[in-house]
Amino acid sequence: MSVILMSMLIGLGVALFGFTLQTTIGGINRKVVGRMQKRYGPKWYQEFLDIFKALSKRAISHGWIYDFGVIMAVGGITATAMFMPITDSLVAFAGYDNFFIFVYLLAVGMLGMAMSASGSGNPLASIGVMRALTQMLAYEVPFMVVVITIIKVSGTSSLTGIMEFQQANGWFALSLPIGFGVAFLSLLGMLGKKPFETYIAPSEIASGPMVEYGGKQLGLLFVMHEIATFIEVSLFVHLFLGGASNIIEFLAKYFIVYTVANLISNLNGRFKIDQVVVFFYKWPLALAVLQAIWVLWR
Amino acid sequence: MFSIELVVLSTLLAGVLAYIVSIKLPKLGSYLTILASLAVFSVLAYFGFNNNLDAEVNLIPQFVLFKTSMFGLYFAIIVSFIFFMVSFFNPYFIKDYKYPAAYNLFYLMALAGTIGVFFASNFITLFIFFEIVVWTSMFLIPLGKKRKPTVTYFVFSTVGSFAMLYAVMFTFSITGSFDLAAISVLSGKSALLVYILLAVAGFAKLGAYPFYVWLPKVLGKSPDPVSAVFSGGIEKLGAFIAFMAILRISPASIYLEAVGMYLQNYVIAIFGAITIVVGTLQAIRQDDAKKLLAYSSASNGGYILVAIAMSSSISLTGAMYHILAHALASTAAFLAIAVVHYRTKTTKISELGGMIHHMPLTYMVYLMAIISMAGIPPMGGFISKWLIFQAVINKQMIIVAVATFFGSIGSFLYVFRPLAALFLGQKLPKYKGVKEAPFLMMIPLIILTLGSFYIGVIPNQVIDFSNKVIAEFGFGPLLMNEFGIQGANGTLSAPIIASVFGLGVVVIAIIFFILPKSRKVGLMDTYTSGEFIYTEELLHYSADFYAPFERLYPAKPLISKVYAMIKEKVNELGRFFKYWFFTNKPEVTVLWIVLILTLLVWGDIL
Repeated sequence: MSVILMSMLIGLGVALFGFTLQTTIGGINRKVVGRMQKRYGPKWYQEFLDIFKALSKRAISHGWIYDFGVIMAVGGITATAMFMPITDSLVAFAGYDNFFIFVYLLAVGMLGMAMSASGSGNPLASIGVMRALTQMLAYEVPFMVVVITIIKVSGTSSLTGIMEFQQANGWFALSLPIGFGVAFLSLLGMLGKKPFETYIAPSEIASGPMVEYGGKQLGLLFVMHEIATFIEVSLFVHLFLGGASNIIEFLAKYFIVYTVANLISNLNGRFKIDQVVVFFYKWPLALAVLQAIWVLWR
Repeated sequence: MFSIELVVLSTLLAGVLAYIVSIKLPKLGSYLTILASLAVFSVLAYFGFNNNLDAEVNLIPQFVLFKTSMFGLYFAIIVSFIFFMVSFFNPYFIKDYKYPAAYNLFYLMALAGTIGVFFASNFITLFIFFEIVVWTSMFLIPLGKKRKPTVTYFVFSTVGSFAMLYAVMFTFSITGSFDLAAISVLSGKSALLVYILLAVAGFAKLGAYPFYVWLPKVLGKSPDPVSAVFSGGIEKLGAFIAFMAILRISPASIYLEAVGMYLQNYVIAIFGAITIVVGTLQAIRQDDAKKLLAYSSASNGGYILVAIAMSSSISLTGAMYHILAHALASTAAFLAIAVVHYRTKTTKISELGGMIHHMPLTYMVYLMAIISMAGIPPMGGFISKWLIFQAVINKQMIIVAVATFFGSIGSFLYVFRPLAALFLGQKLPKYKGVKEAPFLMMIPLIILTLGSFYIGVIPNQVIDFSNKVIAEFGFGPLLMNEFGIQGANGTLSAPIIASVFGLGVVVIAIIFFILPKSRKVGLMDTYTSGEFIYTEELLHYSADFYAPFERLYPAKPLISKVYAMIKEKVNELGRFFKYWFFTNKPEVTVLWIVLILTLLVWGDIL
């Protein structure tokens, strides 16, 4: 029992670490983008200030489901982050860091947020949720096909297991280059980076699901967004870039992946939601399936 | 000891009793259905778990033979439980039926029939009880005041029944035995034929592609308790038949190296995959909540087929688990919608809104049910989907994997639809004063939800049971340890996931309540980009929810065109016969008279 309690504490630490890391890197990235656009950019800790300001303000609530959804969302995402390994030895629940946990436990958080947003009674929020779910259907399937290839090749669905396999046999980014590309596109979709930020679309549907939020609800959803980003980028690092054997390596890989995704985002416009679906089901899915057939059925 | 024949007979008797009582007092009769189904469930569960069910007693003539098996028991317990749960809804719906007495009778007869099927030891028994289920359930459907779905159901059931009858007779002609074990003796082409026929019977009952079209029609239009019973219980007969056909018969065929399975199994898996995709796409489109759930039932049937076709310990456990998890979740979802229907008289999503403010408990039940249906932890559906994914990956069935993932993510889309537009959204003024479910309805809702949750957190008992079931088919047990299930490429620990999730929620809830309290505002007090909007309807987004996505694929499933063509041809044939043989046109009658007279008079010359 004490082992599990210890694991839970470590897990909470991982979640907190993820939040801090992503908020910092997000802040640095705002500066990077600022410099790219010939601005000075905000301070690197600006995102922390935004979040803590929102948390301390008194705001409105649209009923119990609006609050309950927020708690379920942030709680679900925190729980997901608790399973995430940081390096191959630093993992809270060793042996239970199954890939599917991340996909499905992440969905609890998403469901909570969608529920809360729809519960606000604002149609723009519902439209945002509709788009987010549709987009999820688009990017998730090619991504999963790539991942099953990885799981089958490495013989395990545990993230630390996949990491160890890559450290022995080379990165999947190199041995499965097509899958790497497809998964990177999916990552852009997961992170809601342009051209796949249709469900946020500030100028179109007023930030979609987030439209009604303010105060602590908004602050907590910011926290959720940061942790979710941490989970998605770390998944990518662990699955394709060989994970990390020490924390410096992890930080470096994480920073590079997130920054590249962010830079690409700033060079693109926005797809319409049906274009997103058609986009992912055309080449990425076909390539992912072809690669899987090539690697597995040979 | 308790005899199976006694269970079946007394259920039938209880049906007759309920019929007699409900001629005068329909409501009392429907309470009898609750008691009777409770009795059936508890007897089966109690004596079944203690291995004390007796198949030897012969009260019915010799050709009806039963046997006990873990496989039959698993199904019988689940289905009788579903019948028991749904029966709590009968008293509230009974007054809407034209023939309440018949409803009570058929409800219990259908239960008796399903139990007979699950414990049958020879094909004659199986077929008799199968037909009892088909016929009784057929008469349950039109009590929802629509005749047409009954016809659809009858046509598709007939296809299944005839396929099964042909398979039974064919097996008898070769082996000379009606015993269920006889099909394992078959070999070569005859085995393949029986395999296909029984698969067709299973597909038709389960509502798999290409027979899934009856599900939305029937489940969408029957009385609400009947829909729930179909989705959670009667449909599972198809899975039962499919299990038997796929696992007991082994026709010689091509072995596919790449996926490590025989061709015919792969074909079944592909059909399952198509069912998943088509069911999902159509479910996303539906505006009627019951039809939406019906398509989702079809799609979940696809998962069960895929899992059975893969025939490994993991996949079969996945199939068994999915049958249970889906039965609980889908029944709960149907019943939650039934409550909404009962209170508001509609199931159209676009007409409803803000039901959560009137019926929070029903909302929570629906929420938990869809979490399970979408395969999200900590509910039962997660474990079954995890097991099925493990097997799919292990067999490296890439095409099928695409379909299963598509169905899994797609299920988020369609289950969210009623959640967002029916339960959430604006509180529409026309439903002012709508109340929460009555007390008796809440009982099954809560029990089903807790059941779903329990099997999602502690899977050990179910897995132990299903290990015994798959042992009967000659598969080794799925390994379990204290915390986890051992899959093909990883361990899953449901209790840890559930407790971590609980911890996460508690931590965030504490933070949430420490932070400054929010001010309550109404739902109309929202950001509207500066527009002035005063009516709730204008701020409620519910019709054509997934419009941009729906535009990408055809509105009607392609197979319905084929069925339309067949229908046209059958109609044509009917018209032909009607014109020539059942007409009231004098010229045709005269022609027949002339012809017959000619035959009579000059017949010997011709």
